[in-house]
Amino acid sequence: MPMVEVAGKSFEVDEEGYLINLADWDEGIAAYLAKEEKVELTPNHWEVINFLREYYSEYQIAPAIRVLTKAIGKKLGPDKGSNKYLYELFPYGPAKQACKIAGLPKPTGCI
Amino acid sequence: MSASLARAVNVLKEVIDAPIASYFASCVHCGLCAEACLFYTETDDPKYTPIHKLEPMRRVYAQEYTLIGRLLKWLGLSKPLTDAELAEWQPLVYDSCTLCGRCSMVCPVGNDIVYMVRKLREGMAIAGYAPAGVLAATQRTIEMGSPMGVKLPALKAQIGHIEAETGLTVPLDREGAEYMVLLSSMEIINFPEYLSAIARIMKQAGKTWTLCSSAFEATNSGIQIGVSDLARVIVARIVEGAERLKVQTVISPECGHAFTALRWEGPNLIGRPYRFKVQHILEVLDELRVQGLLKTQGFEEKRLTFHDPCQLVRRGGVIEPPRNLLRMISNNLVETTDPGKYNWCCGGGGGVSANDDAEAIRLIAFKRKKTQLDAVKPDKLVTACANCRIVLEEGLEHYQMNLPVVGLTEMIADHLASD
Repeated sequence: MPMVEVAGKSFEVDEEGYLINLADWDEGIAAYLAKEEKVELTPNHWEVINFLREYYSEYQIAPAIRVLTKAIGKKLGPDKGSNKYLYELFPYGPAKQACKIAGLPKPTGCI
Repeated sequence: MSASLARAVNVLKEVIDAPIASYFASCVHCGLCAEACLFYTETDDPKYTPIHKLEPMRRVYAQEYTLIGRLLKWLGLSKPLTDAELAEWQPLVYDSCTLCGRCSMVCPVGNDIVYMVRKLREGMAIAGYAPAGVLAATQRTIEMGSPMGVKLPALKAQIGHIEAETGLTVPLDREGAEYMVLLSSMEIINFPEYLSAIARIMKQAGKTWTLCSSAFEATNSGIQIGVSDLARVIVARIVEGAERLKVQTVISPECGHAFTALRWEGPNLIGRPYRFKVQHILEVLDELRVQGLLKTQGFEEKRLTFHDPCQLVRRGGVIEPPRNLLRMISNNLVETTDPGKYNWCCGGGGGVSANDDAEAIRLIAFKRKKTQLDAVKPDKLVTACANCRIVLEEGLEHYQMNLPVVGLTEMIADHLASD
């Protein structure tokens, strides 16, 4: 597994760049992961990232896109629980990019 | 020949059983199965003809088990299977087959083509030609017990929310309950409304029920990927839980393939009959309706149509219960063309929705559903499979069709008589 160093601290990511150990995560790492994804973090981004951190601590699962939009809609209102809003924040796939920046594993869908 | 290819050929030789040999021998090359397959009808590309998807397996069958095939192979006129061919067939066998079983229904000589596809998948999976998304889901099932990685804490969190919202108890590990309720991953994570509906319906019916902490999930990726050992492990977990809790009936959730796995394949997988009954939730609700234990009030004002989940309706035979239930709460139920056992797949069954490689072709195949829906213009689409529901929502969104999709059990629960 590749190692990455941020502010003197090194941590492990998988082949696709997802953080291996959730406990490694801090805001500095989030900023690094966001830069890798070419996402400039604004308060609206942080709202989604913090939502995901809380979501994961409750359900221990990284939500796929439809799950994410529904759960955000419930918590932050229908305007934010929409594909359009989330794609504006995370253009290359809201669930995948936001989960990665929040230090979660890659989201998984139904089978 | 690479080691993985040799393994694949060996597995294919093993899985070619008497039915498969007789199917290949009986195929009259009529091509009717093409017209039955939504991947063919929506692309007009003959490579999507279901029987053609089985070509690697047919070659092994001919070369190993027929006199002429052996002779042609010996003369060098029939070429052995190659790695490149297996790679070429991967998208045909996985991305563009939802195991919907419509081809098996129309075959004039009665070939169960979908059974053959599942057997071919066994060989492909062993040779390493299964898509990454499906393999990852299977890996999670082995390691964590669930294809989406849903563990007991997630279920417990949802139970907490549902108990707070409804004021009802959601029983866990209650020995001797009449019903043991199973869920799909998607229901736990995205449609907890289903579990809430069960709690309210069981309360009204006065039935005892329980969830089981060691077997709460019914999804079975072993069935989809074609790994029968894994399918057996997953079924055995449920059997162990149900027999330990001494329940009378296990209820398969609003999930298509879970019903196939548990109701139809399960006893063969574990090699003995169950000591409990398996019913789909819609069968249970229909039974409660007949017994007068399911009482509803009010009617849906909107025009409804039902999307038949393939594994439940065509493969599973649960055709009338959803319609009986819908008539309790609707005077405006319209059927699409080909309703019931000939209905068209959402395009995402059989592991296709978990397979990133298949996304583009899945959206093309959805045009079949779109055509069906455009013809009857419903206001609401009702179904009984969480995976169909997600795939339908994505397809509808892609084609900018504004149509809400709801689960039937939830809809019934929202109409429960209040007395």
